[in-house]
Amino acid sequence: MTRHDCTVFFLHGLGFGGASAAPLAAALGDRFRVIGIDLPGHGEAPDAADGSVNALADAALAVIEAEADGGPWLLAAHSMGGKAAALVAARTLSGHANVFGLTGAVLLAPSPPTPEPMGDEKRALMLSWAEDGALSEIDAREYVAQNVATPLAVNLEQDAVALVRRMSPLAWQRWISEGSREDVSAAVGVIDLPVIVLAGEDDDDLGASVQPGLLSAVYPRARFVSFAATGHLLAYERAPEVAAEIVHFWESTASAAPAVAPEWSRMIASSRTAVEARALLAQRAIADDANYSPTTLSPEQLATLRTLADRLVPQSGDRRIDLAARIDADLATGRGDGWRPAELPDDATAYRRGLDTVASVWPGGRAQQDDLIRTILAGEFDAGKLDGAEFDGGRFDGGRSDGDGPWSGDVLRRWFDDVRTDLARTWLAHPASLARVGYDGFATSGPGAKPAGYVNLGAGTRDSWEPAELGSDQLIKESNL
Amino acid sequence: MNLHDMRTYAHDDVVDFVVIGTGAGGAPLLARLAERGLRVVALEAGPNFDPDEFTNDEVEAPRINWMSERLSGGDSPTAFGLNNSGWGVGGGTLHWGAFTPRPDPRDMNLFTESGLGADWPVDHDELIRYIIDVERTIGVSGATPYPWDPEREYLEPPVDRNASADIMAAGCARLGIRATDAPAAILSRERDQPHHGRRRASQNLGTIHQGERYGTKATTANTYLPVAVAAGAEIRPDSMVHGIERDILGRVSAVVYRHDGREFRQRCANLVLAGGGIETPRLLLNTGLANSSGQVGSNFLAHGAVQVWGRFDEQMRSYRGYPSGLISEDFVRPDSVDFAGGYLLQSLGAMPLTYATGLVRGGGLWGSELMDELDAWRFTAGIGMNGECLPTENNRLVLADEIDEWGVPRAIVTVTTGPNEQAINEHATAVMTRILDAAGALETRVLARTAHTLGTCRMSADPAQGVVDADGRSHDIPNLWICDNSTFPSALSANPCLTQMALSLRTADRMLG
Repeated sequence: MTRHDCTVFFLHGLGFGGASAAPLAAALGDRFRVIGIDLPGHGEAPDAADGSVNALADAALAVIEAEADGGPWLLAAHSMGGKAAALVAARTLSGHANVFGLTGAVLLAPSPPTPEPMGDEKRALMLSWAEDGALSEIDAREYVAQNVATPLAVNLEQDAVALVRRMSPLAWQRWISEGSREDVSAAVGVIDLPVIVLAGEDDDDLGASVQPGLLSAVYPRARFVSFAATGHLLAYERAPEVAAEIVHFWESTASAAPAVAPEWSRMIASSRTAVEARALLAQRAIADDANYSPTTLSPEQLATLRTLADRLVPQSGDRRIDLAARIDADLATGRGDGWRPAELPDDATAYRRGLDTVASVWPGGRAQQDDLIRTILAGEFDAGKLDGAEFDGGRFDGGRSDGDGPWSGDVLRRWFDDVRTDLARTWLAHPASLARVGYDGFATSGPGAKPAGYVNLGAGTRDSWEPAELGSDQLIKESNL
Repeated sequence: MNLHDMRTYAHDDVVDFVVIGTGAGGAPLLARLAERGLRVVALEAGPNFDPDEFTNDEVEAPRINWMSERLSGGDSPTAFGLNNSGWGVGGGTLHWGAFTPRPDPRDMNLFTESGLGADWPVDHDELIRYIIDVERTIGVSGATPYPWDPEREYLEPPVDRNASADIMAAGCARLGIRATDAPAAILSRERDQPHHGRRRASQNLGTIHQGERYGTKATTANTYLPVAVAAGAEIRPDSMVHGIERDILGRVSAVVYRHDGREFRQRCANLVLAGGGIETPRLLLNTGLANSSGQVGSNFLAHGAVQVWGRFDEQMRSYRGYPSGLISEDFVRPDSVDFAGGYLLQSLGAMPLTYATGLVRGGGLWGSELMDELDAWRFTAGIGMNGECLPTENNRLVLADEIDEWGVPRAIVTVTTGPNEQAINEHATAVMTRILDAAGALETRVLARTAHTLGTCRMSADPAQGVVDADGRSHDIPNLWICDNSTFPSALSANPCLTQMALSLRTADRMLG
C-alpha cells in the first residue's frame, strides 16, 4: 500500500499525451499519485474506433478502472481532456462505470460539453497542419507557441513539441472536426461535484473570462480561478501554482467527507453492485458543500439543525457528513417517508417550527443540552414556561398545530422523533457509514453477482468476495453456481 | 411485468368486473375470473415495474411503497410508508416479507373462545383448501413434518437459515420451545411459472422487502397476474380511482380514475375494492358508499410486532439470507395467561436503515449510545412477534381536512395499544428475551413496533356489525365487493398475506356462483 492521500487521473489536452502530466506530478509530490492517461491517438494509445468524445471517455475510464487502488481520486483535465472528463464524471456518478471514489475535478482551461468556441480560420489552420500526416516540427512549435502567454522554458517546450509530433494525425483531425464540435451536454447533465476551474487570462478561446459562462450550469459547485499572464497550457506554464490549487482543493473541499476503505470501494466498483446502487453510493460519498445555502430552512434553522445533529448523531473526526444540509435538500424535494404524526403540519413547516422552538431554549452547556434533549424525548418540554420574547417564530399558543408558536409536550416529542430518524438514516446511507457498521448488501443483485446474494450465512462466516473484516476465511463455502 | 399484447377494453364497455388494486386481494381473483372468461379490468394506482427497477438501496427502494402521506394519531401512532401498503403492479406483494404461516382455527373463532374480538364467518377447513391451492401456485417452502400440524405438507423444502435463525433455533432447543424452518413464499428450487417464465431458486438475499429481481420471492406480478393477462384481463397501471358512480337503483355503474393527469371513467357491471386496509375505507368514506353500518374505517387492527435483539460475540450480519427463516407457533395459545389470543414468533433479519429507525423510534436512542448500538448491529440476532389485536372504539380511520395529490382527503389512522395487546407484547417480549439469553446473548434490547393494516371494512354475518358478508359482498350494494385485508374480522396471529390470497380465490368462486 502506497502512502499517498489521493490519486489524480490526468486527462491531457489535444496533442500532449499522458506524459504532459509530468510537471504537475513533480510539483504535487508524493502525497498525490498522478496517473497521466494517454487518450486515443496520443502517447502509447492507438486511435479510437471513432472520433466521438465518448470514445475518449471510454479510454479514460478503462485506465481509471485498471489503475484504481480503492482510494479516493480526482479528475484533473486540460482542454480537450476537460470535455472527456465531464463524461467520465457523469458516467461515474450515474454508476455506469466500474469505478468508485471520485471526490472532485480540477479542470484546466477545459473544453466545455457544448461545442467548443473556435473560429473557422483557426480550425482550418490547425487541420492544415495534419493534412500530410504527423505535425512538422515547425507546426508543432507554432501550436505550442500560440497557446502560451510567454515562451516555455526550453526543455519544457521540447517535451511538449515532441509529444505533439508523436500523436496520430487522425486523432488530431477528429478532435478538430468532430470531438470539439460535438454537443455532449445532454449526456453530461448537471454534475454536483466539488470542482475548480483554472484558466489563464491570456487564453483566446477557453480563457478565464469565458469559463463561468460555459460551465456554471454544468458544475453548480465550481469555483473559478483565473491566472494572470497565462495562456492555455496551464500545466506547463503554471505547474507549481496549479499544484498548490489542487492541494488546497483537496484539503479544504474534496477530502471533507468520511473516507471509504479501499476494500469496500473496490466492492462498490465491482459488478456485484448494481448500477443504480453504485450511483447512489457515489453521489452520497461526495463531500458536502461548505458554503451550502439552505433552500427550505433559514440559515439560522440550518445552524440549529447542525447543532442538534452533532448531539443526536455524533460524528467523530474531522471528516464529516453535513447531515443538516442533506436533510434541508431532501425537504426541498417534498419527498417524505409516507406518513406523519397527525398533530404535525407538513414536514418543512414542522422542521421550521420545531427548530425555532429548540433554538429559543438551546442552552450553552453540554449537560444542560443533554437535559433538554431528555426532557423533549420524555414529552415533558413545556413551552408555556418560556418568556414569549425569546421565541422568534410567534407567541406561545399552547402548541396548536396550525399556530406558529413553540411546541410543547408530545407534539415536540413526535417532531423530535422524526428529526432523530432522519438524521440517523441520512448518516447511515453514506457508504463510509455502511462500511463502518459492516453492511455490504448493496453488493448483491448486481449483474456480476452470481449467486445474486450470499452463500455463507452463519455467524462468523463470510463469502470470498466480502471484506476480510466481516468473517473468517477458514470457513468459506463457495457457490456451486 | 409484461403487459405487452394484453387484451384491452374500451372505457364505455360495461366490463364484468373492475378490480381496484393488484396485490394479494385483487390478483388471485382477477386471474380466476379471467380464466372463466369474464371481462375484467384491474386499476392499479402505482406503475408497472420491470424487476430491474427494484433497488436494494433503502433510501430509494420505497418506489414500491405507498408514499402518499397518511396521518397517524393516538398513543401508539402506526408508521406507514415503508410499512404496510404497496405501490405498483403487484401491490404489497412487491415488498412483503413472504412469511406464510397458515391461519389457526382458534384465531378464527376468537369471540366464541374468549368473548372478545370477533369470529370469522368463514369455515377454517374451507379456507385451508384455498390456502393449499395458493401455496402450490405461488411456491411456498417450509418444514415437513410441521410440528403444529402433522398433516401439513410443504411442496418445497426450506430455504437456508441465516444467523438469526440459527440463534433462535439454539435458544428454543435449550428451553424446550418447538421451532422449525418457517413457511416462506421463497422458492428453494427454480421453476417455470406459467405465463411468467423462469423464477430462480433462493439466492439468500436479505433485501426482499426492497423488491427482488429474480422471482425467488413470489409476488402477484410473477404468479397470478401473468395468468390473468394471458386469460384476457387488462391491467391499467398509474390509475388512481377516486370516484364511484351508481345507477338509479344504487348499484355501481362505473369508476372514475386519474391517469396521466386526466380523468377517465370505466363502466362496469361489478366492482371489487382491493386497495388494502387504508385505501379501501378511504375511498368508501370519500364516496359515502356501503356504510349503512357505520363500520367503514372502524375496527382498525395492527399486529403487535415487538422485536427483541440480542448481542453476541460473533458477527451475525443477519441482513444476509431470507430474513425470517425460523418460526414457532408454540404461543398461539400460551398456557396460564389472562389475555385473549396469542402470537407467532419468527427470527429476524433487518436492513441497516430499518434497524436504525427501530433503534431511534422503538428504542428511543440518541447520541453516542445510538452510535454504539449501530456499531454493535453486526453482532446482533433478533426475534420478532406477530400478535393478535382486538378491535376497540377509538382505533379507527377517518378522513382529514387535508387533500392529497388526487384531490382525495388524506386518511387519519388513530391507534392506541390496548391492555390485551400490551399483555401479549409483554408475554412475547419475555419469551423472546429468554430465547436469546438461552442462546448466549450478552445483552438484549427491545424495539417496539406494530405492523399491517387490517379490519377497517370487516366482514360480518350480521349487516349491522360489518361492511361486507362472508363472501366479501357489500351488505348495502349487491354489485360491490371488497377483497383485501380490510375485511379481516380479527387480526389472526398469522401474517395476513397468504390468508388474503386464499380469501381472494374463495371470493372469486362465490362471485362465479
